[in-house]
Amino acid sequence: MRRVVAFTLCAVLGTSPAWAQADRNYFKVGVITSLSGDLATGGNVTKRGYDLWAKAVNEAGGIEVNGKRYPVKLYYADAQSEPSQGASGAERLATQQEVDFVLGPYSSGVTLAVAPVLEKYKIPMITGSAESPLIWRQKFAYTFGTIPPVNYTGSQPVGALAGLAPKPRTAIVLGSNDAFSKATAEAFKTAAEAHGIKVLKFNIVPSGQDLIPLLSAAKVLRPDVIAFGGHDEELINLVKALRQINYTPKALLMHYGVTEPAFVEALGKDAEEVFGASVWTPTLPTRGDLLWADARAYAEAAQKEYGVPADYTQAGCSAAGIAFQAAAARAGVTPPLDEGEKRALRDALEALDIETFYGRIDFADRGEFYHANTGLEALTVQIQGRRPVITAPAEFAEAPARYPTTPWNDRR
Amino acid sequence: MLWQLLPQAVLDGLLIGGVYITVALGFSLAFGVKHIIDFAVGEWIMLGAFLGYYLQGWTGLDPLLLLPVVFAVFTAVGYAIQPVIHRAVSGRRGNPVLMGLVFTFGLMLAIRGAGLTVFGFFSHSIPSVMSARSWFLEAGGLFVTVPAIRLVGFVYAIGITAVLHWVLRHTDFGLAVRALAQNRDAAGLMGINARRISSWVYGIHVGVSAMTGVVIGSIFSISAQMGGDYTILAFFVVVLAGMGYLAGVPWAAFLLGLVQSLFLVYGNPSYTLLAVFAILYLILLVSPRGLFAKGV
Repeated sequence: MRRVVAFTLCAVLGTSPAWAQADRNYFKVGVITSLSGDLATGGNVTKRGYDLWAKAVNEAGGIEVNGKRYPVKLYYADAQSEPSQGASGAERLATQQEVDFVLGPYSSGVTLAVAPVLEKYKIPMITGSAESPLIWRQKFAYTFGTIPPVNYTGSQPVGALAGLAPKPRTAIVLGSNDAFSKATAEAFKTAAEAHGIKVLKFNIVPSGQDLIPLLSAAKVLRPDVIAFGGHDEELINLVKALRQINYTPKALLMHYGVTEPAFVEALGKDAEEVFGASVWTPTLPTRGDLLWADARAYAEAAQKEYGVPADYTQAGCSAAGIAFQAAAARAGVTPPLDEGEKRALRDALEALDIETFYGRIDFADRGEFYHANTGLEALTVQIQGRRPVITAPAEFAEAPARYPTTPWNDRR
Repeated sequence: MLWQLLPQAVLDGLLIGGVYITVALGFSLAFGVKHIIDFAVGEWIMLGAFLGYYLQGWTGLDPLLLLPVVFAVFTAVGYAIQPVIHRAVSGRRGNPVLMGLVFTFGLMLAIRGAGLTVFGFFSHSIPSVMSARSWFLEAGGLFVTVPAIRLVGFVYAIGITAVLHWVLRHTDFGLAVRALAQNRDAAGLMGINARRISSWVYGIHVGVSAMTGVVIGSIFSISAQMGGDYTILAFFVVVLAGMGYLAGVPWAAFLLGLVQSLFLVYGNPSYTLLAVFAILYLILLVSPRGLFAKGV
């Protein structure tokens, strides 16, 4: 009777009784991401990455620790695209669900709100889709990220453009007013100035702002490059606005979003020849020891599961799961994790250096990129033939960059 | 150089204002007649946009040619839903305005959730032949680029405003709508079927909003989450115009469009929304019933 009462109370409070926790033979994994609100597109892409990892690892019997396999069970918290909701979700996962570790939010803004909460409860988190350098400058002990920050990746495509002939001489850099987009725009600006490209205009604009007046004014300056930091919908709107005023810069550069399947689907031929930054494509030569042998194998599994090509965010989220998988095996921790085991898991993550289908995962243990993955190469991609193609650096290039880009009206 | 940018900035502001008119027009009409603050307006825009998107995919026709179909479908939907809203805001329930607001807020959440499930979370675009056209005009050192699809949106906004104005001023139906807006009980005593007229008004509001969704989808992108921004926008325009004062909507929309455009070009773009809100608050401080002091 006591157990029935205890179970009822725990069910109402959303917690598990102590003896049920002690008997647990599976990992409780919290997933905080934005399944609704303005960032729902990216949020759901991250969910797909986490889900695909959980499915694959459970099909293999679970995470292997000391010869025994432990399945994983995901517990979701919808951040609703709001940092405050993300923080509340983290609090619930820590205190009520008592998760062992967390797969982190979509967007840097939500990550910055979630990280201090998990820091308080000493729960390790890997975010598979947050790229603002602000996160790593905070030096959170328990927060890691599989995607390098934009100041690490954003300079690559600008450098690649500077090496093309005729060299672009002027640029306009715009960014949307959120942590990731601002950092992207700043990275583009810094890199442009470093490569001798004169920045004629640098503006941070409110998220979702209709940019046509700004672009019409920019058109008068005739910049060689227009670079924009923003999220998926904003990128589509920017291309549509440039199309509407019929201005084709020599190069149109963006960051995340170009590799998202929706970008090509929504814009069709107008998506062609847009440049982007990435750290992974389905054709990248990688080799993985856990779950997927290489990038192509992962891309095929993702295509089969969801019917659309995987982008680097989805892949980065699946790689976050693999990082935990490898770290748990090395630390020898089994569920449920107590505070000491969570610390051991965190230490194992910090010492991790593995090859995966995503590329190398090596979290920095000092410096401005503290706990960000610095094992990856930054890539320049360009949409060619309706898919992202690597154009730089030379050792990974699949095709030469198409530059200057074809005027809108000449595209077929 | 700054002087040269002025014609373009003014034109862009007017074209942005054109979009705002269509977003707010139905909302203002519904409030004027039914005293319902329709928080679902953005979701009707979203649903209309997706109907246009799928119809365009199935038929291959230009989305602008599909506007009458979208209007007919969603007018029927609005006509059918109005009795439910009427039930929520009438009878023994206190504070009908609040009840209407809560009901349409719930409707908004339900439609948005269903939209995410049915349409998915990726953004889309509705391609129109007009999206790829623009005209470049130059005279006396001044120049403007006129994007064709934005001009279509502007003409559409003015057209819808003119038709609604004509219907309200020159038809028996319009007379009945105005009578209902002035005094529901007296209108009933004069033989006006309040429920039927209300259903038509809500139907027209939903139909116009859905058509606007198709036009918006040709100018911008569409997604299941897009509604919230347009609801807020409609609310701002209608408050600035004066709640329920339909004739004030175009002027309020143009003012908001111009403020944004001029501030983006001549001010600090980071503070564009701040400038819009500051002007809105200042006007409401001076004239709490809107620009023309004719709102409720």
